[in-house]
Amino acid sequence: MNNQKNMMHTLPVEAYTSKKWFDLEQEHIFSKTWQFAGLIEDVENAGDYISVQAGLNNIFVVKGRDNRLRAFHNMCRHRGTQLLRAVGKGQKAITCPYHDWTYDLEGKLVSIPKKEEEFPDLCNKELHECGLNLHEASVDIFKGMLFVHPDKNAPNIMTFFGEVEPYLGPHIPEELIEYQKNKDEPFYAKEINANWKIVVENYIDQYHLAHLHEGTLNMYDHAKAEFGWAGPHYHFYEPLVPEYLADIKNASPFPLIDKMPENKMGAYVPWLFPNIGITESESAWNTFHAIPLAPDRTLVVIRSKTMNVSEWEYTKQYTKSMTSKVWKTIGNKGKYEGDASDPMASGDFMAEDVYACEQQQKSLSSPFFSVGAQAQKGEFAVSKFQSVVKEWIEKHRNDA
Amino acid sequence: MRNFYQLKILGIKKETEDSTSVAFDVPSELYETFNYKPGQYLTLKFSINGEEVRRSYSLCSSPVLEEPLRIGVKRVKDGLVSNHINDNLKAGDTVDVMPPDGRFFADVKKDSYKTYYLFSAGSGITPILSILKTVLLTEARSYVHMIYGNRSQDSIMFNTELNALQEHYSDRFILEHTLSRPKSNWSDLWKTSKEQSYRKGRVDTDAVKWFVNEYPPYAQNAQYYICGPGTMIENTKKALKSIDVPEDRIFIESFGGSASVDTTKAYENAKLTAHLNGETIQIAIPQGKTVLRTLIDAGKKPPYSCEGGVCSTCMCKLTSGKIHMNNNLALSDKEVEQGYILSCQSIPLTESIEIEYE
Ligand SMILES: Cc1cc2nc3c(=O)[nH]c(=O)nc-3n(C[C@H](O)[C@H](O)[C@H](O)COP(=O)(O)OP(=O)(O)OC[C@H]3O[C@@H](n4cnc5c(N)ncnc54)[C@H](O)[C@@H]3O)c2cc1C
Ligand code: FES
Ligand SMILES: [Fe+2]
Repeated sequence: MNNQKNMMHTLPVEAYTSKKWFDLEQEHIFSKTWQFAGLIEDVENAGDYISVQAGLNNIFVVKGRDNRLRAFHNMCRHRGTQLLRAVGKGQKAITCPYHDWTYDLEGKLVSIPKKEEEFPDLCNKELHECGLNLHEASVDIFKGMLFVHPDKNAPNIMTFFGEVEPYLGPHIPEELIEYQKNKDEPFYAKEINANWKIVVENYIDQYHLAHLHEGTLNMYDHAKAEFGWAGPHYHFYEPLVPEYLADIKNASPFPLIDKMPENKMGAYVPWLFPNIGITESESAWNTFHAIPLAPDRTLVVIRSKTMNVSEWEYTKQYTKSMTSKVWKTIGNKGKYEGDASDPMASGDFMAEDVYACEQQQKSLSSPFFSVGAQAQKGEFAVSKFQSVVKEWIEKHRNDA
Repeated sequence: MRNFYQLKILGIKKETEDSTSVAFDVPSELYETFNYKPGQYLTLKFSINGEEVRRSYSLCSSPVLEEPLRIGVKRVKDGLVSNHINDNLKAGDTVDVMPPDGRFFADVKKDSYKTYYLFSAGSGITPILSILKTVLLTEARSYVHMIYGNRSQDSIMFNTELNALQEHYSDRFILEHTLSRPKSNWSDLWKTSKEQSYRKGRVDTDAVKWFVNEYPPYAQNAQYYICGPGTMIENTKKALKSIDVPEDRIFIESFGGSASVDTTKAYENAKLTAHLNGETIQIAIPQGKTVLRTLIDAGKKPPYSCEGGVCSTCMCKLTSGKIHMNNNLALSDKEVEQGYILSCQSIPLTESIEIEYE
């Protein structure tokens, strides 16, 4: 921060390029917030589990026979070995692969091989009273999504998300079903060569919609967008353009979300701090998870849900949408002319965003780089997000 | 020590064929004293046939509503006090009432985000109703999943109030009725509410497991509150533990009275030495009397309230001799090991015993 020139808006440029900042964020943001862990159907039956990396912690979530979820740090108390792999079903106990120490689904240590011989002095009480049970974490559900927090006494999830809830769409994700192109794979997953905050700032930047996406997102009426902040979270809504709205029943690519009121058709696109966006539109409901991998690398995983109706309904809707005149004039034209392999000519808004993010990241190492100006409305969210990041780190650094 | 206060009965309402609710008028200078947490009970004192008797009754009103303190009393066959209340009390009477007490209560906070599982049967609805109303009103984001067992449609206490709550809070209050002997001819009350349906059977292991499966928690901080007669509490708790509900999330309130017939014989005319309020009392324990009753009959003032082995108010320490407790729903194994006893439940097993109230 010694050189005032090298600033983004509120954060220094090094916050987007340095290992030092990456580590600070891992410790004080991603290890001290509720972290997206999946969708509730990922842990459907008793004994099913998933494990996720949440900042510095690897946490697994398992469902008990009482239908309540439990979360534990995925780490054997013996020598720390990670216990569980990504996903699994119907587990009755958790055994460490290294020395077979075994825990029950309440995280209690229930067996140690050769206990008497090898650990005669460990403790003379029951195993689960020896202080070697799994470290507990927290898990809760918000809008059909699973969230974990490394602290077993985490502040309750609604004190974190409650403020933004009224601004979210009417969608009930629990009632929708996941749309997968390939079985057990998310709708979209891609490593982007940009800092995670560049990705977030792109997501919450209203100013770029009418420009970068002039030919791809023009079924939404950007001029009528309503957006702002609720706590550390960003909320955004914009209606459909009249042309699309007029033919929505035919033009929609998927069956319409039944919870969308006809007089408020549009897209809700909130960003929940720190790293999970939701895209709640007239026909789909998506999670957009930005996972920092390195100062200049971010994995984006999108999962998509649509109406729980028959294949036939989808086919009918697809046919109607294909033949709707609406798409002749809007929705899928690239900004540049050219080959579809060029993101800017692809007609795919996601490819356009990735391109813009990567192009911006490239310039951050230039000694000539600086942010020249900020659109006071359309880019307000960008600097606001940076101050939320900054304040969160400062607050939690001082608490430590 | 807690004292009795004379409270005037504001109103009495017949709830079902065999139950009544009693509302008390608490004068403003006693508001503080009679402040309570949802789930707690009052202890009432009566003199019936020349004998002083006390009974505890859970408050079914909510401390966060502008409503008078209210209890709901169900007749117990041949029961002394429950029938006295149902038969004889009327608005305007005064009753000796001890301020609210009890360890069974929900810690209700505005910002909490929880799923409350409420299991109740029969008159066990009273503290559950108080918790229910308080949670719904105070915790705008919490969910309540409740199952309520009764004999038939007619014996459901507070049915109208429950229906109104269900209607008003339909997005986060689930109520399932289970009836052990449902009437096939629906009562008028029953017919007026369109969608009311019930399950057949008691609140037993099957019902509990079915209920928890049918209504999984949304908010993951779940708590389980149980109150009901007979074996309902034990069965519910067992069912919950069999599906791994952690003990520290389960809260129970027993009304007592369900101890199986106890045939333990007391040592006849055992000598009691009791240290109470700085006095040393020596007296013989008549056949069939508890330690507590012996002291009360001798005109002494030992602490007690429920006289049912539930509240632990009558707790004292046994310093010599042996006793037997007819019913102990209050003391932990550890406390018993340390020599603590419930004097309201204790009969002597040795020629002499010595106790000390602390
Ligand atoms: C903390 C607490 C809260 C209570 N809250 C309520 C309440 O909200 N509403 C309510 O109606 N009662 C409640 N009770 C029960 C109440 O205190 C009395 O025990 C009950 O009214 C019976 O008293 P009685 O004098 O009529 O019967 P008693 O004359 O004492 O007993 C007559 C016979 O009935 C049996 N018996 C005693 N109590 C019960 C019982 N509860 N169920 C079945 N059989 C019994 C006895 O073993 C005896 O055989 C509560 C008890 C406790 C300890
Ligand atoms: S008076 Fe309540 S346990 Fe004895
Ligand atoms: Fe974009």
